Amino acid sequence: MTVAMSLEQRRVDRAEQVEHLRRKIAAVSGKVGDGRRGPAPSIDPLPDSESLLPLPESLAELLPTSLPRGTVAVLSGARSLSLSMVAAVTAEGGHAAIVGQPDVGLLAAVEMGADLSRIAVIPEPGADPVEVAAVLMDGMDLVVLGLGGRSVPAGRARAVVARARQKGCTLLVTGGDWQGASTRLEARVCGYEVTGPGRPGIGRISKVRLAMRARGRSFGGTVRAVGG
Amino acid sequence: MDWPAVAALVAAGLPPTAPVAVTLANRVIACSASARAAGVRRGLRRRESQARCPELHVVTADPARDARHFEVVTAAVDDLVPRAEVLRPGLLVLSVRGAARYFGSEEAAAERLVDAVAAAGAECQVGVADQLATAVFAARAGRIVEPGKDALFLSALSIRQLATEPSLAAPGREDLADLLWRMGIRNIGQFAALTRSDVASRFGADAVAAHRFARGEPIRGPSGREPPAELDAVMNCDPPIDRVDAAAFAGRSLASTLHRSLEAAGVGCTRLAIHAVTANGQELERVWRCAEPLTEDATADRVRWQLDGWLNKRNPNDRPTAPVTLIRLRPVEVVSAEALQLPLWGGIGEEDRLRARRALVRVQGLLGPEAVQVPVLSGGRGPAERITFTPLGDELVPRADPGQPWPGQLPEPSPTVLLDDPVELLDADGNPVRVTGRGLFSANPSRLAAPGRDDALSWWAGPWPVDERWWDPEQAKAGRTARAQVLVNGDGRPQALLLCYRQRRWYVEGIYE
Repeated sequence: MTVAMSLEQRRVDRAEQVEHLRRKIAAVSGKVGDGRRGPAPSIDPLPDSESLLPLPESLAELLPTSLPRGTVAVLSGARSLSLSMVAAVTAEGGHAAIVGQPDVGLLAAVEMGADLSRIAVIPEPGADPVEVAAVLMDGMDLVVLGLGGRSVPAGRARAVVARARQKGCTLLVTGGDWQGASTRLEARVCGYEVTGPGRPGIGRISKVRLAMRARGRSFGGTVRAVGG
Repeated sequence: MDWPAVAALVAAGLPPTAPVAVTLANRVIACSASARAAGVRRGLRRRESQARCPELHVVTADPARDARHFEVVTAAVDDLVPRAEVLRPGLLVLSVRGAARYFGSEEAAAERLVDAVAAAGAECQVGVADQLATAVFAARAGRIVEPGKDALFLSALSIRQLATEPSLAAPGREDLADLLWRMGIRNIGQFAALTRSDVASRFGADAVAAHRFARGEPIRGPSGREPPAELDAVMNCDPPIDRVDAAAFAGRSLASTLHRSLEAAGVGCTRLAIHAVTANGQELERVWRCAEPLTEDATADRVRWQLDGWLNKRNPNDRPTAPVTLIRLRPVEVVSAEALQLPLWGGIGEEDRLRARRALVRVQGLLGPEAVQVPVLSGGRGPAERITFTPLGDELVPRADPGQPWPGQLPEPSPTVLLDDPVELLDADGNPVRVTGRGLFSANPSRLAAPGRDDALSWWAGPWPVDERWWDPEQAKAGRTARAQVLVNGDGRPQALLLCYRQRRWYVEGIYE
């Protein structure tokens, strides 16, 4: 009876077992430092977190369900939104690429907890940034694509969406329109916090207050919230 | 022993017969034969030696000069008999067995060596003996010692000779020779006659080594340098290359040649020089540095990119005037293959990392090597300076060390958008606001104007002067530099900006959003 019980408990599938053993080997050989992987991954498999994208705290509270991997989302408004998502993904050990945003302030992402060794920047993607993003989907967990005012026709968009779903890579589109995106996130600056009494000449900017709005099929309508 | 003097003569361009003395700490350490004939001896004071030989040319000792001029001799000997060991500049030892068999006899080999060195512009003496140390003394006497007669040859030498060759004697050897002399042991033969245990228990470890030498017992053989492996891959292009697709083809075959020779040598290449010669004799070279050892594909890619870059330069005047006829790949820096041991199972996340890297390399192939930039944290005060971008594949080297303290660094949060747009900062009367020599605003700012915008400030802070590299004349030209934060109310929407003042103008450096 006891034997049967323990067998039942340990009935994990093959993939999980392989992963478990690999982690043990890595821990013994010590080849993987903390810096590479971030905090040590928990041994318990969490199937939910595998299919969902890690999100920054401010956004996780806002959205009723997390963003699934392999989707396309259109972001508009403040840049903090995309940077905080890059930070959350790389802090969890994923890889991210930023395409077509030569003016991105990566130091802000570092302050949000991003791991720079997992970020690559393609500031000038040439005439066809969508093509570059599609190539990057092969290896990245998150691609931020700055369209620079271009609009992507529906046919092209459908092909890229299918590729994103197949590769499990989330595509965040900013600065342009994307036909048929499943999620649209908007962040707007609604105020700043300043240290000190707030008189001119004294203090520093200490916080940016954002108002975020999410629309999408998975949320069943519009959600509004204010994050810090 | 005279090599420093010979090297000094060559360096000064004097004839070999001129008297010369090399001094160290005001004492003569080496002199030429003509100086010796005039009475100059080692250990003399400089002034004394000049008194004995008024036309003496005196130079100070310089080991680098000695080694530099000896390299010619080493090369000449290496041409004749490879793998010679340099004991010190002026003294070469080599194994005579092969040379004697090749040239017929030891005498013939010695003659050829003397001729080769003479052709290189120096005189030399050759000695042959069973043991390395004995051979050095045989060379001084210019003798060929019969096999097995080492101890006999040495026995007649003075006990003082034990300490005369610095490359064979430990530092305390002088004292040992002196002590033995005072004890009445006058030649090496008498020293060799003592028993080993007597020597070891009375005079210490170095004396045992000296005793072995005195008896002509085996010490070690010459250990010459291995000739370095030839790793270069060279390709003569026929027909000459003037198109990128041909270059890609050449790159692939060259890369495979190079990697075969690298594999044979058991090394990986981390710095690769690509060298091309055009039909007009123009030479082009660029060194590629890589954080990780190059794979064959990566090498081929780099050759293609480099040739592409040369053949299709933006400015047509900079392009090579003729097609490329020769390509050479030279590994400038190699690491041993042991250093490249990958973990057994690849480690966690390694697969992901390689997958991400492959995707980025493909983008590099599409857009060029500079298109994919990898950020690394760097030192600095402003938000833009604190991130250094390097092309993927190059070594990640921050421009400045982030570990240093950077007083005056802007605190968190950093702007999420980095710009460099000129703006006007105006006071209440519409006059431009400057930063004074005391690091203050000339007047309180109240408006921010730029082409297409004119916004009132609701809050401002600063200026925070940036006092960087004032000692550098290039930087000092930029004048005063300072940063400030402002809040503007444009169209009812607040916006926080980071401003930077330099060259008497304000620039928007970043937007907080």
